[in-house]
Amino acid sequence: MSYQSAIVFGFNEYAKQIALQIAPEYPSFAIFVMNESERILAKSAGFEAALFDLGEDWKIIEERFDPKNLIVFCALDKDAENVFLTISLRSIFGDLPIIALAGDHESAAKMKSAGANKVMATQQITANIITEMLEKPTVTGVLHDILYEESFLKIAQLVVPEDCFLVGKHLHDIDWGEEFDLLVLAIVDHQLSATFSFTSKGHHHHIDPEDVLVVVGYEDSIAALSQAMGIIK
Amino acid sequence: MIGRWIVGIAFFLHDSLRYRRVKKFFHNLLENPAYPYKKFFDYTMMVLIVISVYILVHHVKYEVKPDWLFFNNYVISVIFMIEYLLRLWVYSDNSKVIIEQYEHDLFLQRPFKILVAFRQIIITKSKFVFSLSAIIDLLAIMPFFHEMRLLRVFILFRVFKLFRYAKSLQQFVSILASKKFEFLTLGVFASVIITVSSVLIYVMEANNPESPINTLFEAVYWSVVTIFTVGYGDFVPVTSEGRTVAMVIIVAGIAVIAFTTSIVVSAFTEKLDEIKEDKLIDDVSKFDQFYLICGYGPLAAQVARRFLKNGKQVIIIESNHQKVAEAQKEGFLALAYNPASLHSYHTIRINFETQVIAAILLEESDVLNVYTALTIREISKKVKILSILLHHENRRKLTLAGIDEVVYTQELVGLMSKEVSGRPVAFEVIHALRSENNGVFIEEIVLDTLMAQHFFETTKHSMFHKRLIVLGVYKQLSQSFFFNPSNTLVIEEGDVVIVVGTRSLIDEFKIQMRRKKRS
Repeated sequence: MSYQSAIVFGFNEYAKQIALQIAPEYPSFAIFVMNESERILAKSAGFEAALFDLGEDWKIIEERFDPKNLIVFCALDKDAENVFLTISLRSIFGDLPIIALAGDHESAAKMKSAGANKVMATQQITANIITEMLEKPTVTGVLHDILYEESFLKIAQLVVPEDCFLVGKHLHDIDWGEEFDLLVLAIVDHQLSATFSFTSKGHHHHIDPEDVLVVVGYEDSIAALSQAMGIIK
Repeated sequence: MIGRWIVGIAFFLHDSLRYRRVKKFFHNLLENPAYPYKKFFDYTMMVLIVISVYILVHHVKYEVKPDWLFFNNYVISVIFMIEYLLRLWVYSDNSKVIIEQYEHDLFLQRPFKILVAFRQIIITKSKFVFSLSAIIDLLAIMPFFHEMRLLRVFILFRVFKLFRYAKSLQQFVSILASKKFEFLTLGVFASVIITVSSVLIYVMEANNPESPINTLFEAVYWSVVTIFTVGYGDFVPVTSEGRTVAMVIIVAGIAVIAFTTSIVVSAFTEKLDEIKEDKLIDDVSKFDQFYLICGYGPLAAQVARRFLKNGKQVIIIESNHQKVAEAQKEGFLALAYNPASLHSYHTIRINFETQVIAAILLEESDVLNVYTALTIREISKKVKILSILLHHENRRKLTLAGIDEVVYTQELVGLMSKEVSGRPVAFEVIHALRSENNGVFIEEIVLDTLMAQHFFETTKHSMFHKRLIVLGVYKQLSQSFFFNPSNTLVIEEGDVVIVVGTRSLIDEFKIQMRRKKRS
């Protein structure tokens, strides 16, 4: 799903990097900070920021944005403040996608409980990347290119349409590499749950409409499959 | 003339690489605990000592074969004598002393005083000869003169030689030595009590015909046996006066025992941390390869845990003792040393070239990480260094300090945020693969010749086809990645294959690639 608006709460090194990456992706983008010094910092980085406090009733959001087309990033300095922000946003906006930053596992669990849709535990991310860089340098490089760099190789999630030729087939019925020059890493079964299962584990998977295929391949190959599936007419 | 000749020899030995190498080898073998072959030498010597003592004990009541006696009296003694002479040789550098004296005299424009140099040599060597361990070594050689039968008991001195080779015994002695003053006080106290009580008991008992204590020696014997609370009962006072003395000495004995026990216990308690640290350093020097983490905190704990989970060894160095204690409580091998100090690495005896897979700098400060990186680079130019970056503007400084890989989490989180908001499922999939918590792994396999030869054949095997995802092949030489490789791609030794699958499937894939050749 693509959203029209995004809000970043806080302005520290994390928030700054998030803002730099996502601001160009959204037609409407805003930063909310808790104090004047953060506002000045944001301004020096080229962003206009509005002030807020944790006791807000969030009418400002309803006035400026369409909550159905909004995604928020909670990146305040302290985990406790982030939890409070998450829970207060969730109390007003039941369906708002909230992505929150947490320092460690413990805070991450609290953010989840507070209603965050996705929690990025910074320590865990750093630890994972450090071990991966040293133990699997090639994997790190390749994944980094696929995910973040402007390479021809892409990762994409394709939603299976109603009248798609794949409906009714099993994942293993198709030689994805041979036929489409791409690989299916995982599938989200719409009927079973919202979580994904890896292709390496669930090969007897029955493809249904609205299942999501996570594929890796060249842009052209992904476009060709999308066309064959009826996503791109 | 003789002086010039001796100086010539001294210069020749000083400049001779071969001589230096041989001397260094023996020095390492005899004196350097970090030298890998020393332990083999020590074990050999310990076995010889045990054999020697066994023969001595056996020979008391039984006949010993002449070959064994010969081995004991000559072979072992000769080995010990050679060892003694080698220790004497490596103890100091005679040629250096002669050259220094010669250059000193030359500088002052006066004739070379050879006797002064010899005097200096004798003084230095005497320090070795009169050291306790050297005296024990010398006495242990004595049984060589086997005709002097009395000297056979000197074999027992060989047992004392064990102190040289067993580190635990050396530690025991050094712990007790640290309480020298207390032991001396105790000794004086016990001696005074024994002397006074011996004289008293002798005076009270010696003239009594019923008393078994008749001589001063018996009185001293009784005092010693009583004060150390042994009390055999073979000599007992019979007079009331004697028994009064006994009561006093029994009370004093309890004090002596209590005092001794408390000294030993306190010596061990005080040295416990030191002993533990020595043990830890010893363990570290025995590791083949490990990751070195500099700086401990919650992030370091997570990184260490992940490496340990993957079966890798991890050593943590942290200057804060409290943090080290926390790390040890978590079960990590942590040492309380400053990671930014050269002295730390010399003390820990870490070999960066052979032991350290990579140094990971996780201090909560770019300044400290740069400082640590420069320290490590001073020791090793080759070792891989990875560091976290806390402030973006310091990236270049970290690179200039010789850090190979920089992890800037903030930037990574920014990139991930873009991904998670745009392609949440794809992000989750990659994140799950990286976290290795779902039973599915992304792995890289470096191909050897065998594997390269049978790579495609194996991927087509029914066990792997459509089950193991071969993401691509990375060619290290051309630094290019070939996604979903087809049969036309030439696979070579050193290529890296990236696969996605369950652990068992990936392991089986590796085995099958090699198995093809054998069939």
